[in-house]
Amino acid sequence: MSDYIIEMKNITKKFPGIVANDSVSIQIKKGEVYALLGENGAGKSTLMSMLFGMYEPDEGEIYVRGKKETISSPKYATQLNIGMVHQHFKLVSNFTITENIIMGMEPQKKFLGILPYVDVKGSDKKIAELSREYGLEVDPTKRIDEINVSTQQRVEILKMLYREAEILIFDEPTAVLTPQEIEFLLDIIKGLKEAGKTIILITHKLEEIKKVADRCAILCKGKLVDVLDVATTSTKEMANKMVGREVNFEVDKPEPHYGKEVLSVQNLTVKDDNGFDVVKNASFSIRGGEILAIAGVSGNGQVELADAIAGLMPAAGGKIILNGQDITHDNIRKRIDDGIAYIPEDRQKYGLILDFQLKENFPLKNYCKEPFSKKGILNYSEFDSFGEKLIEKYDIRSGQGNKTIVRSMSGGNQQKAIIAREVEQDASLVIFVQPTRGLDIGAIENIHKQIVAEREKGKAILLISLELDEVMSLADTIAVIYSGEILKVADAKTLSVKEVGEFMMGVKGNETKK
Amino acid sequence: MLDKIIIDGLSFALPLFVMAIGGIYSERSGITNLALEGLQGAGAFVGALVATFLMMALPSESQIPYYAAMFTAMIGGMLYAMLHAVLCVNFKANQVISGVVINILAMALTVFLTKVVNRIAFGAASDKFLLNVSSRWTIPGLSSIPIVGAVFKDIYPFEVIIVLVAIIAWYVLYRTRYGMHVRACGDNPQAVDAAGIDVAKIRFSAVMISGALSGLAGMCFAYSISAKYASTIYVGYGYLSIAALIFGSWKILPTLGACLLFGFAKSAGHQIVQVLEMPSSYSDLVMVFPYVLTLLLLIFFSKHNAAPKALGEIYDKGKR
Amino acid sequence: MKQKNNSIAKFFVKMLGNEKYQFITIPVFSIIVSLLVGAIVILLLGKNPVEAYGNLLQGSGLLMKEKYAGGKGMLTDFLSFVDYWTPMIFAALAVAVALKAGLFNIGVSGQMLAAGFIASVTVGYSTLAAPIAKPLVIIICFVVGSLVGGLIGFLKHKFNINEVVSSIMLNYIVQYVTAFFIYTKYVDPVSRQSKNIADAARLTLKNVEIGALKGDIPLGIILAVIVAFIIKYVFDKTTFGYEIKAIGFNTNASKYAGINVGKNMVIAMMISGGLAGLAGATYYLGYFCSMQPKVLAATGYDAIAVSLLGNSNPMGILASSFLINIINKGSTYMSSKAGLDAEIASVITGLILLFSACGAYIQYLVKKNKDKIEENKKAKGEA
Repeated sequence: MSDYIIEMKNITKKFPGIVANDSVSIQIKKGEVYALLGENGAGKSTLMSMLFGMYEPDEGEIYVRGKKETISSPKYATQLNIGMVHQHFKLVSNFTITENIIMGMEPQKKFLGILPYVDVKGSDKKIAELSREYGLEVDPTKRIDEINVSTQQRVEILKMLYREAEILIFDEPTAVLTPQEIEFLLDIIKGLKEAGKTIILITHKLEEIKKVADRCAILCKGKLVDVLDVATTSTKEMANKMVGREVNFEVDKPEPHYGKEVLSVQNLTVKDDNGFDVVKNASFSIRGGEILAIAGVSGNGQVELADAIAGLMPAAGGKIILNGQDITHDNIRKRIDDGIAYIPEDRQKYGLILDFQLKENFPLKNYCKEPFSKKGILNYSEFDSFGEKLIEKYDIRSGQGNKTIVRSMSGGNQQKAIIAREVEQDASLVIFVQPTRGLDIGAIENIHKQIVAEREKGKAILLISLELDEVMSLADTIAVIYSGEILKVADAKTLSVKEVGEFMMGVKGNETKK
Repeated sequence: MLDKIIIDGLSFALPLFVMAIGGIYSERSGITNLALEGLQGAGAFVGALVATFLMMALPSESQIPYYAAMFTAMIGGMLYAMLHAVLCVNFKANQVISGVVINILAMALTVFLTKVVNRIAFGAASDKFLLNVSSRWTIPGLSSIPIVGAVFKDIYPFEVIIVLVAIIAWYVLYRTRYGMHVRACGDNPQAVDAAGIDVAKIRFSAVMISGALSGLAGMCFAYSISAKYASTIYVGYGYLSIAALIFGSWKILPTLGACLLFGFAKSAGHQIVQVLEMPSSYSDLVMVFPYVLTLLLLIFFSKHNAAPKALGEIYDKGKR
Repeated sequence: MKQKNNSIAKFFVKMLGNEKYQFITIPVFSIIVSLLVGAIVILLLGKNPVEAYGNLLQGSGLLMKEKYAGGKGMLTDFLSFVDYWTPMIFAALAVAVALKAGLFNIGVSGQMLAAGFIASVTVGYSTLAAPIAKPLVIIICFVVGSLVGGLIGFLKHKFNINEVVSSIMLNYIVQYVTAFFIYTKYVDPVSRQSKNIADAARLTLKNVEIGALKGDIPLGIILAVIVAFIIKYVFDKTTFGYEIKAIGFNTNASKYAGINVGKNMVIAMMISGGLAGLAGATYYLGYFCSMQPKVLAATGYDAIAVSLLGNSNPMGILASSFLINIINKGSTYMSSKAGLDAEIASVITGLILLFSACGAYIQYLVKKNKDKIEENKKAKGEA
């Protein structure tokens, strides 16, 4: 009998165009917290998806409790007592917590002794007990669309426990949480470890590994770089191994030189489709040469705020003033012309026409102006030369240059294309929403440099990010949004991470607000 | 006159309702189903064909062809629906286009086959199958209650079948494991997959159920409207039932309400033409009524309807 | 067996693998498969498929018939074919314009009938002279069609009503309302159809002497071809075309880019409806000269097949409509000659439609096999 509960030997997995895992071997002991560290695209999630039966490896073997297994489906993984919390939660939004947890393993009762039905009521009780047992309190009868992200994560954990999982995989569990919620989650993980569970933690955040992990495997570009004992290794060392070179955590940012006020948002209220106030009475202003970052947990109204400024959502109340001009009721085109550039959160849904060629995407906002068109007739030679210029200047890589269908490009290069287009607008206000989401460290550094460069040109920058690190390192001014309200606006130097975190939870806001 | 409105209204509303339930199954599982129109026609074709053969073999008063037709229409609709399922689930085709294609093909095929079968099997140049006139039931006692009693008067046997089927369909969708999985597939197929359930299987079977229920509905229309099967079966009731399930926001009970509204609107219109002794050409104008009502209702209800979240989305398991 | 499978896969990859030509190879593949399936059906019915398909060409004036009635010949058959082809071009263009904007106009038939009806009762039954009547018919039909189409676009934009459902509802409304008026006011007691319109208003010149023959000159075809080229130009070269395509691919991104999505959607549907109106003009006031009450033209539905087959490209549509029209137009002759039911034509069209709907899947299969073959080659090269 082997000492290891999980052994993955020489695992190789290829996807069209990339080798996601290249002969990776890891061994995990029972009862330890094992971290998988690596940049986005290093192959961590792929490796664990194979352990969970979502893909099968092209080569290599998997041993569970010393026995060789072919894990062909999540169902079989569940039978092996393996559970996984995915990065994007897999929950049915119009089902209750109980229904989500029991789905696939529903206890049945017989109506009149013959007709089988799902015993939801009995399950409610069982789930309530289970949640108390592990300190993961939830109300089992609440629907998923009524609870917040951190509770949804608890539901995912309960789902694994309900299936009596012994080996728990967490895929980037902290990405969507506030600092305080992260602390709480790490405590839960420690508690699960004490209860005898084996935990695999996928992450790219070093502090978390330092706090909870026993050992840490580092993946880089699909290959296993090293397996380290966390207690005896410094975070700096781990980081260097992860990226494969020296990392500079700090963003080079000169002292600010503020210019005139560019954007002023006054008592802005935004309603969603159902008439709820998603942004309430928000006020702040940004000067030229200033980066104002909005910190907040996902879903607290920051995207709607950006959409309202750009004109994608109507303002239900208040004013938006750009360069002294009231633009509250202007249409989107007018706002673009008046000087708003916008890098949207969802680049594939909003930022690009994926089925257009690259060169057709660059003038997406200018196609109706000279030189791209005259009196409604397009001038394609201008499209060509503009495209070539941007590809060169922003180092956008694609299969067939100008003529590449954007859908076939990598996420990083798609984002570069959007940033190139928006920066070239030469607008006085540039809105960045989650500009580095899903990109690797190299690309992130690059984009951070670009944001700072725009600031140095005297542009006003509105940065919306869920990554607190990004907010702290880039912002001149921080505004914290909670439940649609701006709870705090202050100079970035005067706020600590902890304070910002408390505002993000809404803990601190109410007493400071008059 | 009120009696007549209720009797005719119900006999129209119930087939519409059972077809809409089929639509609900398919759409709650995440597959847009504009093919209901074609499914009901194809199902009814099979049912009518079987009934025609049985009618030749059995004495004329036999009720067997009637029930056999209902049953085989369900089978026929189910088999034909597999085409939509294959296109949408396995071939990952655009579901709207697939639905429309299937309707057009159903019409072409059944009209063609009706002629061919008539010529080859019966040696007659006819483009329709004649069916027996359906018997009607009246429940003594209950039917003599004023106004409400009309519900129990002159019932087509298929109305009873539909009520039973509807109750079963409701129970399965909202109370059983399978129904739970169907509803989950239309909201978040990834979650269903992660729970170890085969999304493709659930969706495929849900489309087949919609085919079976549509086939039943088509057969009922064939019996109630004209006691024959012909290309006149394609009068857009499939689309009407889609409109009904949209008002019913993809839930079974509210959809019943919408169907009853259509049914009574239609029968009331006809009664008005008769009572006011208008010339028969005015019935064409009255025929417009349910469609106009549909459009008007859509105007009021479409904006905020809660369509299943993953409706029309192609689920690709291998997608990262 | 495996070897055999391999060579079959290789054959298909070779035929269909070049992405550059897939826009043409895959539709051709769909057509061939459909015709083969049709041939099997014809064989099962005990007829000769080659002869039957030959009859289709003969009926369309593309192949010599054995004998002709007096004043008729291959040329007159062909002219009649073109006369019937014209509304199909317009109808398919109507579907294509809507498809480009991401909308599915299944209401072409209703729009045709509405336009044809209004034009008939206003101009068709008037005594206006031809030089005024003919252009007026075109204008009225375009306007009526675009009003109906625009309504569908408006309902979609303003109330989020699925355009398929609303156009079907409008189809029925148009069908019954026109039937009511035809029966009460414009009926021809013998044919039970609407009364024939005046020749002056008709877009087809009837019984023109061409040498020894007497044929029909379809004026609409010139307009149809011109319109096809205009639409191609608009989509390829203008900002409006750029906007429509952007909306068709991604409404969210179009909105984000400052394009007025609602307005453009309604305009696209108005153009689509207008083209359907022109199809109605050349159908009800061209090839035919009266309307059958309560019947929608099959052309409006076949147009969907034509448009999908032609990749929504106006040039592709000219080609695919030509082909589908052979099946439709030639079916009457085939039916009389080979004793096959004319309805088999719509079955074949339906099959073509079915296989075109699988186009994306065929593309995917070919791509998969191509990758596999290439990988095998590479592996062999390495070994």
